[in-house]
Amino acid sequence: MIGALKRAYANFRGFDEAGSTVPMMDGPLKPNTLLDGGEILLSLPQVDNLVSTAGGLVCSSGAELLALNWPDRAMPLAVAQRRAFEAPITCLASDGGKGLAIGLDGRGLLIQGGRHDGRRIDALQDRPLNCPTAALFLDADTLVVANGSADNNAEAWKRDLMGRFASGSVWRIDLSTGPGAGAKMLARGLAFPCGIAAGDDGALLVSEAWRHQLIGLDPARGGQSKRLLGDLPAYPGRILHAADGGFWIALFAPRNQLVEFVLRETGYRRRMMERIDPAYWIAPSLAGGASYLEPIQGGARKKLNIMKPWAPTWSYGLVLRCDRAMRPVTSLHSRADGHVHGVTAIAEADGRLLIAAKGSGAIVGLTLSEGQA
Amino acid sequence: MFSSETLTRLRYRYLPDHLIGEILTKRWIDNAVPFLALLVAVAVFGTLIPDFFSLTSLTDLGRQVAEFGLVVLGLSIVLMSGGIDLSVSSVFTLSVLLSLIGTNVQVWPVPLVLVAVLALGGACGAINGYLVGYLRLRAFLTTLVTLIIFRSIYDLLFLRMSTAIVAGFSDSPLLLFIGEGTVLGIPVSLLVALVIALAWHIVLSRMRPGWRLIAVGGARRSAYNAGIKVRRTVFFAYVWSGLLSSLAGFLFAARLGSTGADTGVGLEVAALTAAVLGGNSLGGGRGSVAKAAMGATLVLILTNGLTNLGVSGPVNSTILGAVLIAAVFVDMRWLRNRHKWLSKVYVSPAYLRLPPPPSAADAGSPYALNDKLRSVEIIGLGQIEGPEDVILDRDDNLYCGTRHGDIVRFFGPDHRRHEVFAHIGGHPLGMAFDRAGNLLVCIGGMGLYQIAPDKEVLKLTDETNRSLFSVVDDSRLRLADDLDVAPDGRIYFSEATIRYEQEDWAVDALESRGNGRMICYDPRNGSTHTEIHKLVFANGVCMASDGCSFLYAESWTCSVSRYWFDGPKKGRIERVLDNLPGYPDNINRASDGNYWLALLGMRTPALDLALTMPGFRRRMARRVAPDLWLYPNINTGCVVKFDESGRILDSLWDLGGANHPMITSMREHRGYLYLGGVSNNRIGRYKIPGADPNWSAQDAYWGAPS
Repeated sequence: MIGALKRAYANFRGFDEAGSTVPMMDGPLKPNTLLDGGEILLSLPQVDNLVSTAGGLVCSSGAELLALNWPDRAMPLAVAQRRAFEAPITCLASDGGKGLAIGLDGRGLLIQGGRHDGRRIDALQDRPLNCPTAALFLDADTLVVANGSADNNAEAWKRDLMGRFASGSVWRIDLSTGPGAGAKMLARGLAFPCGIAAGDDGALLVSEAWRHQLIGLDPARGGQSKRLLGDLPAYPGRILHAADGGFWIALFAPRNQLVEFVLRETGYRRRMMERIDPAYWIAPSLAGGASYLEPIQGGARKKLNIMKPWAPTWSYGLVLRCDRAMRPVTSLHSRADGHVHGVTAIAEADGRLLIAAKGSGAIVGLTLSEGQA
Repeated sequence: MFSSETLTRLRYRYLPDHLIGEILTKRWIDNAVPFLALLVAVAVFGTLIPDFFSLTSLTDLGRQVAEFGLVVLGLSIVLMSGGIDLSVSSVFTLSVLLSLIGTNVQVWPVPLVLVAVLALGGACGAINGYLVGYLRLRAFLTTLVTLIIFRSIYDLLFLRMSTAIVAGFSDSPLLLFIGEGTVLGIPVSLLVALVIALAWHIVLSRMRPGWRLIAVGGARRSAYNAGIKVRRTVFFAYVWSGLLSSLAGFLFAARLGSTGADTGVGLEVAALTAAVLGGNSLGGGRGSVAKAAMGATLVLILTNGLTNLGVSGPVNSTILGAVLIAAVFVDMRWLRNRHKWLSKVYVSPAYLRLPPPPSAADAGSPYALNDKLRSVEIIGLGQIEGPEDVILDRDDNLYCGTRHGDIVRFFGPDHRRHEVFAHIGGHPLGMAFDRAGNLLVCIGGMGLYQIAPDKEVLKLTDETNRSLFSVVDDSRLRLADDLDVAPDGRIYFSEATIRYEQEDWAVDALESRGNGRMICYDPRNGSTHTEIHKLVFANGVCMASDGCSFLYAESWTCSVSRYWFDGPKKGRIERVLDNLPGYPDNINRASDGNYWLALLGMRTPALDLALTMPGFRRRMARRVAPDLWLYPNINTGCVVKFDESGRILDSLWDLGGANHPMITSMREHRGYLYLGGVSNNRIGRYKIPGADPNWSAQDAYWGAPS
């Protein structure tokens, strides 16, 4: 009741009650063009889930799993092997050996190779695993998986955001027990968890995209959660534990004041979701400018045929580097006029940082000097 | 039962929200609050006090208003000049004393008394003015000191003269007439005050000295830089304050014929309350005679009413003080927030429902996507900025406007060299040649101009007739957009919107209301009149083949209509094109008898939906920064060809906008199509397959040169 009154007053006066402002990109998040300056190692539409395994780099493109060849570091990547699955691949996790967990949109999780080869997990305690957005092997027999949303598949992530769903959950699965058993829920009611990493102290780090924050889950204490990094100016996705300590975080789409405003405009939002193709919503996206049917904002109008880098945009390229305590250190950007948008996965190989930009369909390689890392 | 959308539509059709913003732009809106307060005060005390409206009580009030009002007017003049004059009350009191000495003790003739009193007031004011204006002392402290000094002089003199004043008596009929006479039922003193108020109103609102006074109060440094003699202006403001106060004192003396120890005590606070309550800003630069008059009346009604109701003097003063504090508070809030409120409520979206747009995706559609415009030849890249319209003359020279206010001419046939053909100062938009070869140009923010072949610039018109019920003065042209010339020489041109300046044209899309109009300029008698009202962003204009009608585009409704200005169908409007996939801009003739139409941007489903939800757009305009508002997608444009029956014959696209993200104009000339864009930095040249290589629009309009 008080909340409703406050909202009504805020509505009358026209100010925000700290809900629809977007944090500035400043400090460690100060924009640069480092991502655009990277070398394009592979152009591949819908490239995603770039993972470094014992057998080399793997990634996905739609429903295809690709093994990548990189014999010469001076040369671009080459596709060594392709294999198609029955549904789009939503996540990949390596157990450090030959085992690979493959998330399939709407279907569940499939383990290929290693000790549990062929194992399928399509439900967790009778709840379907419909949206496996991230997975992580804690050891060869223990898998942590995030179900992004109980209401929407991973492909319908825009609907999950604009519908203000928060039905994601994180599970720990003991693979050594039989099928169906050994799944334990660590957290629920999350707003699209889509990245998991193991912290140094045994805690699990989970990115909660729609709440623009990273949380820490303590499996020892029944999945108690605490906020590690919040108020991000973009939606966080995959987290990579860097080889030299600290973390890389892929932020797949930027927050936008107009989107935050629309999120509070229930009437408009409902009609938009009912009547309009998600590609043309007022919503963040992995890549923009594909069609003239996409909405644009005032600052994104071209002047003298130039798109300004600081123009408001639905898509962006952003990778954030944090230290061991999850404090932002530096960041890599591809701004509104850039061409490495929608970064969904990061991998490290030979001291190089490989960045898979699903929106722009490219894997970009960066060699980072001391000051930047 | 109405659906909610029907209700929305009706509500936005019949409740004119945009008027709130327009009323807030008026200067007289400052008077609204004091005026309402005055009405409330009259209503309240009129009902509480039995004979409030009786003739004697009104006459008495009138005399008091005259005296008090003159003091308030003097103080308001000083406030407007950016200062303050607290000494008005002691100048008033001194004047009362001098008047009585003149009439009762010395028995001077009444005109001499008046002159003496005015000289006294002027001298007191000059002392203040010299100290504040020339010596630059703080107005508040200075006039506080003179208030005390003048009062002390009064006290000293009053002690000596009081017996003589009471003993003396004036039998001058003139004095009696001034003090108690009426003309046509109006007290003489009120009449005098009204004449003075009227004179000051004219001076302040219509004459140079008044404007200078207000300029000095509004921005002293700017006024100085503009060449206004700031010190002298301030000096005379105080002199006038002294003169008006002393006149008030003279009238007071004439009315009462006596004075006391408490005459004029607290008058400065009452006058200040009245001035501020009326809406004269303490900060200077804002004020008027009407405000002073309203404030004076309001305060008098308040104090007299309270006295009548038996409220004691000290309580009365306390109430007056509280009112002063409240008035100062409101004044401060109002001044600080008025422009904020205005910017929040000015954008007022209307309801607009567009049918689902035709798909351009399938190959069978007349709008089928292609990249024909991607590989156009580029003219003038980086040399021009903002060629909204392009036009070619018979010698193949290419003309375009730029946002720097120039009309640039590229020399034919290769268009490599260019010159500034004419500098006008505003951004040139639509262009046309008349029969004599004069270039006619619509200039955003300026109006309709003509440039003769010898480069002589002539303003044809910059205003039209004012609409009957408009709140803001809509006679001045704000955004003349495109034009065409009828065979008899009449020029029909569109004004896109009367609510926004040219740079903010896209905000008008957020409103999507009929803010535009079609205007006719008749060179035969130099008259201008509005031909069609309430068009939704009236844009391109092109004469139809019959010579007595023209086609015009309305951008936000995505339609093209035809209007007959002559002939048997005179006055009729027919829709030609409906439901375009984008927002139409300029229309021009094609060599095959059809018409080219530029689409400046494309419709997006998200904006189409928002157009049916005005409340959503209004909240967006309030909460979200303008650069983040939802806009029409003007990063992709296209050109279509259509015929008079409304069939789309062809479309030319530049998908992704590599060269021409936004196309506002196109002109066919000798087999080529020339493309312009209002925010582009180039002109495109596209070879039209199969077009007549000898056709030029000038010949088509005016016949081949003989």
